[in-house]
Amino acid sequence: MNAPALEIAGLSVPFGDAPGLRDIGFALDPGERLVLLGPSGAGKTTLLRAIAGLAPTAAGQLRIGGRDVTDRPAEARDAVYLHQTPLLFPHLSVFENVAFPLRIRGCLQVEIQAACAELLESVRLEGLADRRPHTLSGGQKHRAALARAMAARPAVLLLDEPLTALDPSLREEVRATLLSLQARYRPALVIATHDLEDAAVLGERIGILLGGTLAQVDRPERLFQRPASLAVALFLGVPNLVSGSVADGEFRSPLGPIPAGPESLGGPATAAFGADALRPDPCGSLRGVVRSVRYGPRGATLRVDVSGLDLDATAGGGAMPETGDELRLGLERDRITILHGTTRDV
Amino acid sequence: MTGRLPARTVLLAALMLSALAPLGLLLVASLGRGWFFPALFPPSVTLESWGDAFRGGRMAVALWTSLGLAVCTGLAGAAVGWPVGRALADLRGWPRHLGAAAAFLPVAVPPVALATGLQISALAVGVAGTPGGVFLSHLIPAAGYAALYFLGVFTLFDRRIEDEARTLGARPRTVLWRVTLPMMRREVGQAFLLGFLVSWAQVATTLVIGGGRVRTLPLEVFAYLQAGQDRYAATGALLLVIPALLMLGAVQFAVERAEATPL
Repeated sequence: MNAPALEIAGLSVPFGDAPGLRDIGFALDPGERLVLLGPSGAGKTTLLRAIAGLAPTAAGQLRIGGRDVTDRPAEARDAVYLHQTPLLFPHLSVFENVAFPLRIRGCLQVEIQAACAELLESVRLEGLADRRPHTLSGGQKHRAALARAMAARPAVLLLDEPLTALDPSLREEVRATLLSLQARYRPALVIATHDLEDAAVLGERIGILLGGTLAQVDRPERLFQRPASLAVALFLGVPNLVSGSVADGEFRSPLGPIPAGPESLGGPATAAFGADALRPDPCGSLRGVVRSVRYGPRGATLRVDVSGLDLDATAGGGAMPETGDELRLGLERDRITILHGTTRDV
Repeated sequence: MTGRLPARTVLLAALMLSALAPLGLLLVASLGRGWFFPALFPPSVTLESWGDAFRGGRMAVALWTSLGLAVCTGLAGAAVGWPVGRALADLRGWPRHLGAAAAFLPVAVPPVALATGLQISALAVGVAGTPGGVFLSHLIPAAGYAALYFLGVFTLFDRRIEDEARTLGARPRTVLWRVTLPMMRREVGQAFLLGFLVSWAQVATTLVIGGGRVRTLPLEVFAYLQAGQDRYAATGALLLVIPALLMLGAVQFAVERAEATPL
């Protein structure tokens, strides 16, 4: 059985005089993608730099390809770190940039020629091999930086906000190049971003960094449907957060009783659910008044007043309700997550 | 708009004239025999002083001594200034200001004061009156200049490119030789030139530390002026200008050529 590409256990990373990151732990298989999602200043870059060996760690263990690299320098970790802006070596041609990791490993010229030709072809830069980086467009620079990173054949590729500063067409170009290179060379990817959409598209798993720790690591669909805490739900922007309380295994609120699960503690609690869990239904148990209708790329969302609560609901496939309409609404109770505490506590 | 262009042309011409006229005058003075006021041109010309400069005379020895000292000072100044400037750029707050002030001190103090201070050390170490002692006395202000220059360079340098090179597998020494130094060859060339010119123009420290036993070109020019040998002084003065200009051009050419050639 292959060792995980990356294993982190109990990692603490100081950040100046601040407490920094603590008790970080996750594992990634070769070829797997993890997106680190968190607000600005959450420590995403710090964590990537610590994995790369560019930032000191205070405690914990890091293993790459089964080897303990906790105390090894950056050059001996087998983890390539790419910054948000592509930092190509300006004194080298595109070819020599891609050849750099191979030259410093002492590869033969014939091997370098073959590997660089393959990589440049895979990022569609074969015609620009002799060009200097400053003559390339933004997208070409990103592709060249990715090709150079892949030339090192890393076990782990760390990408810091790779799509953040790009316009939409360039984002798609870089995203497609990244995914095709990863499929071909199979490094594990750790991608830091604060963009929910990038996280959802790129991540096979998403880790939420909040308050200096990994609040949740999960598959995107589960993460968005079952946030592990109210802080995660708030960060993800779950639109419907209804305060109430749990007693006798039941969540009680103006929405009516909802089973809270056997593991739920009693006391103040919040029901979290997406707009797609609430929709117009002639047989639904809730009554509401449409306050507004919002149109977006994924359909229309209704803002409805249900027993004094402002909730988001999906418009559904029938006739489009209008502002002021009274509706009956159906709530999919199995898509509701009952979270401990209320928004006032976060 | 029509009035602007001639004014600019006149100013440019005046600038060129102010730069070239003294050189032209020096050239004529270096060739003129028996040229006294109020004669507009020398009555006859001779290559005697130029012959001395190129046939192993006093001036030739001084020229080669100056060149050797300036090249060594340029190289050593850049080599010392690089790590010092980089270390200063890493500091923040008062330690950085203190370090920069220390680097600036040998540059700021009058050369005679610096030379007098250095002479005590040179005598104690036993290098007074030797080319090594003179080289060290030139190196101190040259390294100060270079350190201040590299402080500015490294303050603006994006070190993330070095981080990325390391994660690609390059050891720190490899990063220095294959990434940082090649990226900064223009700056290194300019730091060398700075040190070269500092040494090339030194008079006070050479005189005090060299004790008259190390004869550089500026000292010879002074000696010829004091002796009233204007032709030799003019030749020496031109020789002081020409290598500096040649070195400036050579460094610029080397940098541009290196930038055009992949490593």
